[in-house]
Amino acid sequence: MPVPDNHIVAMPPPFEEPPYPADVFAGQTVLVSGGGTGMGLAMARAFAQGGAQVAVMGRSLEKAQEGAGKIATLGVRVHAMSCDVRLPDQVAAAFDEAEAVLGPVTLLANNAGANFPVLAEDISVNAWNAVTRIAIDGTFLCSTEFARRLIARGQGGVVVNNSAQYIWTGFPGDAHSAAAKTAQATMTKKMAREWAPHGIRVNAIAAGFFPHETSTAGRREGRTEVLQNMIPAGRTGSIHEFGWLSAMTCTPFFAALTGQVILQDGGESLRRSLMMPDYVPPREREEGPWGWR
Amino acid sequence: MGVALMGWLAGKTVRLVGESAAIAAALKAQGAALVAEGDCDVLIHVAAPQPARPVHELSHAEWRAALDAGLDQRFLQARDFAAARRSAGKGGAVVYVGAPEQALGSDQAAAAGALINLTKTLGVEWARDGIRVNSVLTFDQGETLGDLVAYLASDYAAYVTGAVMGVGLDDG
Repeated sequence: MPVPDNHIVAMPPPFEEPPYPADVFAGQTVLVSGGGTGMGLAMARAFAQGGAQVAVMGRSLEKAQEGAGKIATLGVRVHAMSCDVRLPDQVAAAFDEAEAVLGPVTLLANNAGANFPVLAEDISVNAWNAVTRIAIDGTFLCSTEFARRLIARGQGGVVVNNSAQYIWTGFPGDAHSAAAKTAQATMTKKMAREWAPHGIRVNAIAAGFFPHETSTAGRREGRTEVLQNMIPAGRTGSIHEFGWLSAMTCTPFFAALTGQVILQDGGESLRRSLMMPDYVPPREREEGPWGWR
Repeated sequence: MGVALMGWLAGKTVRLVGESAAIAAALKAQGAALVAEGDCDVLIHVAAPQPARPVHELSHAEWRAALDAGLDQRFLQARDFAAARRSAGKGGAVVYVGAPEQALGSDQAAAAGALINLTKTLGVEWARDGIRVNSVLTFDQGETLGDLVAYLASDYAAYVTGAVMGVGLDDG
């Protein structure tokens, strides 16, 4: 169903009008994991709009390079690298490479993630390990590598983590990601406390549905159009407003902001009704947004 | 860095209830026109932190006064704001500002807890009126508080509703 005409849908300014000056990150380098596509690319582009140099990291160098090309059109220096964030040596090497090419990394966006809705009993050990370790170990390895370097230099910095709107409710049919994304949010708060004395801030965005070319959740007849009316805000998110909020947490505007997990989901996770449709377990759903089998 | 003049709230009218120099400065710097009464695009409601006292030493009248300031007035003014917005056929934004939930007395814990779930509730209940509702619970009184509230009030936060956040590490 389309959103009724008498409903009011709040819209963000267009991509060309970012909320911060074009030099807000001037002289700084941001490292974005999974920055070549989707939400990571949106983060990277938002940082570039503030003048940051961008190190784009991806498991696939080809995708990272492709994303880097899109970021470079915003007029900043960009460097693409391949890295598996689950492997400490690769993470350290990627930071070495980014800093050798672009200079000290003072901003970090932990976005790398894998997610595919699947019944819990169908999650293989490999699938469980992939989804949880990219988000949990990857965020640990990248954040600690980042912090150790900053602390050694006596320099402050900011981390922003891409978490999810289902971290407080669970997500039946997506157990690995439900676990992984909540771990990211809770470690955000603890790392913020541990690194506050070093001038390192850490925040997370609990992001809702921001359709993009690689999202799996929008794969449905009629594309994402049919999903607009499902969300209280009357629309799915525009990916640039996710990028902006992520980057905003790293600006001097929010210089005191740390340890925060900010929900940005158009009210999607807060839907609640006295009367709801009959409960159908994920296993018996003929049609999730994804189709379960 | 001081507040840059980005115009997040250019052309918007804002009613600021309660005292906050940082929020007032940020709103003006971002182009908002502050209005004392009447229809407006944004309602920002600031409740000043009350002294923390042992709950068994509070009279019922004192308890009630704390809940009135920390909860009842916040709901009633937002309700009237939303009604005026609907009459005008326009969306809007409410931002509640107050102290962290567990940082003061039991009266604050009750009022802030209620406010948190009220924020989540109204954020969805009024979503299709184009009215967003968010809360910032902190002791911070600095520029970050002002800028964060101004940002949440602006269209840049168009997809943020029902969100409750702090500023620093005083909220846990």
